[in-house]
Amino acid sequence: MALHDENLWYKDAVVYQLHVRTFCDSDGNGIGDFRGLTNKLDYLQELGINAVWLLPFYPSPLRDDGYDIADYTSVNPTYGSVEDFKTFLTAAHDRHIRVIIEMVMNHTSDQHPWFQEARSSRDNPKRDWYVWSETDTRYHGVRIIFLDTEMSNWAWDPISKSYYWHRFFNHQPDLNFDNPAVREAMWEVMKFWLDIGVDGFRLDAVPYLVERDGTSCENLPETHAVIRDLRKRLDVAYPGKMLLAEANQWPADVRAYFGDGDEFHMAFHFPLMPRMFMAVKLEDRKPIIEILGQTPQIPDNCQWCIFLRNHDELTLEMVTDVERDYMYDSFANDKAMRINLGIRRRLAPMMENDRRRIELLNGLLLSMPGTPIIYYGDEIGMGDNVYLGDRNGVRTPMQWNGGWNAGFSSADPERLYSPLISNPVYGYQAINVDSQRRSEHSLLSWTKSVIQTRNSFRVFSRGSIEFLNPTNHRVLAYVRQLGEEKVLVVNNLSSSAQAVELNLQSYKGHIPIEMFGRNLFPRIGDLPYLLTLGPYQFYWFRLRRI
Amino acid sequence: MVEDILLGDEFLRQLMSVGEVDLLVAIPSYNNAGTIGQTVQAIEESYQQNFIRDRVVILNVDGGSTDHTPDVVSAMDGRKAVGYRGLTSLRTVHRVTTQYAKSPSQGMALRTILATADLLRARSCAIVSPTTTNLDASWIANLLRPAYRQNFEFVAPLYTRDRYHGLLARNLLYPMNRAVFGQRIREVFSEEWGFSGRLASECLSQNVWNDEAVRARPEAWMAVTAICSDFKCCQSFLGPKVPPASGSALDIVEVIRQTVGSLFRCLETHQEHWLNRSGSQPVPTFGPDHELTSDGKPANQEKVFGLFRTGVTELDPILGSILTPDTHARIKDIAALDQEKFRFSHELWVKTLYEFAASYHHAVINRDHVIQALVPLYRGSMYSFFLEHANSSPEEIEADSESLCLEFERQKSYLVDRWKAKG
Repeated sequence: MALHDENLWYKDAVVYQLHVRTFCDSDGNGIGDFRGLTNKLDYLQELGINAVWLLPFYPSPLRDDGYDIADYTSVNPTYGSVEDFKTFLTAAHDRHIRVIIEMVMNHTSDQHPWFQEARSSRDNPKRDWYVWSETDTRYHGVRIIFLDTEMSNWAWDPISKSYYWHRFFNHQPDLNFDNPAVREAMWEVMKFWLDIGVDGFRLDAVPYLVERDGTSCENLPETHAVIRDLRKRLDVAYPGKMLLAEANQWPADVRAYFGDGDEFHMAFHFPLMPRMFMAVKLEDRKPIIEILGQTPQIPDNCQWCIFLRNHDELTLEMVTDVERDYMYDSFANDKAMRINLGIRRRLAPMMENDRRRIELLNGLLLSMPGTPIIYYGDEIGMGDNVYLGDRNGVRTPMQWNGGWNAGFSSADPERLYSPLISNPVYGYQAINVDSQRRSEHSLLSWTKSVIQTRNSFRVFSRGSIEFLNPTNHRVLAYVRQLGEEKVLVVNNLSSSAQAVELNLQSYKGHIPIEMFGRNLFPRIGDLPYLLTLGPYQFYWFRLRRI
Repeated sequence: MVEDILLGDEFLRQLMSVGEVDLLVAIPSYNNAGTIGQTVQAIEESYQQNFIRDRVVILNVDGGSTDHTPDVVSAMDGRKAVGYRGLTSLRTVHRVTTQYAKSPSQGMALRTILATADLLRARSCAIVSPTTTNLDASWIANLLRPAYRQNFEFVAPLYTRDRYHGLLARNLLYPMNRAVFGQRIREVFSEEWGFSGRLASECLSQNVWNDEAVRARPEAWMAVTAICSDFKCCQSFLGPKVPPASGSALDIVEVIRQTVGSLFRCLETHQEHWLNRSGSQPVPTFGPDHELTSDGKPANQEKVFGLFRTGVTELDPILGSILTPDTHARIKDIAALDQEKFRFSHELWVKTLYEFAASYHHAVINRDHVIQALVPLYRGSMYSFFLEHANSSPEEIEADSESLCLEFERQKSYLVDRWKAKG
């Protein structure tokens, strides 16, 4: 796929999410950087992904892993320079890899010069760039997101002697999007990066941009107006660039962020993620079917983004209390594994390093409607360290080989930004890229193969989905279709072998061709199509009428 | 394999789809299209409220309904049964139906249920009746929990009954069962009960399914099997037992044939267990605080007494062959009393029943005739109960029931003697 020839590129993408800091250190200071990342682009190309989503790399006090930005138009010197970023971007594009960067619009760091000016006096021209109040009772009842650390959405500023509004940490004051100057400033920031050549933005915390009395201060019409304005400017000046929404909401609420195809191009499907885990644990397709049944249609030029794990906790905000309890009991028995309303663990440990379940979940991720995102390290089954505090346990250095610092850095181990995973099961001596490259049966090799298969058939990225409803509820089966291209996906969610009879009457006469081995299966006839599946096994069949 | 013969291919296909379960609730049915929907809904609600995480199935075993009862079960929309606080089960609530025969048979129904529980490796099971119109979600939970959470194997129900309802159980089945088998399980003959998967497998493996008494009242056989095989038993309070609507109830003769016949048959098959035991032990009881007796309207007393007298007269030769001369004479004496002065003492009632049981054992006459001859005498005991307890409080009635139980226990040695004596 050539760059810039296709404005809907994001629909066909397989995205790889990483933090520059975690990936590769080129200068031996113990912290990953853009030069190191650039050196590893061949690996990403080899993996088969075609887009990279970078976590914040801006100058920041790093009290929230970079989501507390102190300068929007620069690169944190620890990671390199703007020139280093440009070099990386060019190299990525050369490999047909697009680059999505973070844009934290809702708030800045309290160290950002804008806030420093705003708090310096009540008469400062920047004062109105943030949300201030004489009391901490305004917007009463609005939920607190970081329950573990924050008591209120207001924080007292001892300098200007008033309260400022913050939906996240108290060192992250919310910008005032009612102020046209703020909106202009943010557009200027985006233009800066678009002019350099980035392909899209993941907009952080979008539901919270605007506040209004008597509301939840989430998903307000005024917030949508801000987004529509940005999108309009983007389409006019930078066609083919993409906006991705982070809105941890129910699908019906997120739907509004697609607008009429005039707000976001993509949005995360947060509620689906925990339900994929739940379905495998429960050995029942019900959670997945239910949430997708509640997912509204979206405009043709839009796409859901789906994922298994990411840099944050596995969020359990979009589940019921009962479901949350079940998830905790199933995947976070140790209280250290829990944070906020979620679970701070990686994919492989959550699956108890069971290769079959890891593959099944990746198979679901890559075959269901939406653009899949793979979190760095999950392609080799990296582990976590839940004792590192906050969510740092899933942000440990990438494990490249079994040598010094896992090949991540030449620094003394003590100098690394984070300890490496070093336990006998998930440690870098056992789990690393080099060793898995050497085996065609490794998780890495399997991941490459499944991505390659997905990339070969556009039906996965753009096709419709029709769920089959076999009586065996341990089996999740669906047909993806795009024009004449049809793929049948059958997943055994259970830990035991299953037989399933599929009603494939609509596809009578088609021959299922197993997509990984390209083997022919018996032609679909009048009778229900009988399949047997081993524990956690899944099939992808191309349906061909020959 | 038993289940190979018992379960049809189509039903097995359904079971394949269900797979292993934790909980199974079965509804035996026959022409219950009008009421089975609310039964299924109560079960679904119970699953949604109490067993959100568990693997569950609802099983309908039908005896050849002509009113499309199984179709009602299959067509129900489970989503309507949203549970407490709007919660829904995390897993699929499976519903399967099968027709085990073209005509109803309680024994065949239970055997099908046990085979299903065995195949699905259910840990806890319950059976409920579609005719119990006041069944609700709590009943299901109370039947399932003891076996699921507390390792009990057999869960008998406890009901609140009005004073004139369930007299056969109060005056005969419970006290005699308690005295003979030694456990104070109040409702051995019931339409609702619970059991463990282990007990299901044990019962399924027994070669008793052609026994008429087992086929007629398999629940009593299962209860006695549990007691005599040292499975842990308990009782769970469900709620008020509403008498069946008039017209749908079985004739008393048929009821006694089934229940007393089944009890006497169990005495036969489990004599090794009970002949050398005496006294009785309470069993753990679960559920909220409750009363077992409430007020109610009496039956037609005049007719009951008349049928007693007529029976004693008409069956005189048969009673003479079943009862000892002394007991027979005493019964004829009380039958000759004025209606107002009539009393069937506990002592005489117990002695009469034990002599019937022994005669059944020795088959002094056709066993079915033995059972049928008991019917008029039971009516006499009913009438005596009416007279004695017309103005009694529920507590007084319960106290009298307990004294009757103790009388059964006191005279058990008499039963043993008669049982062992040559016929």
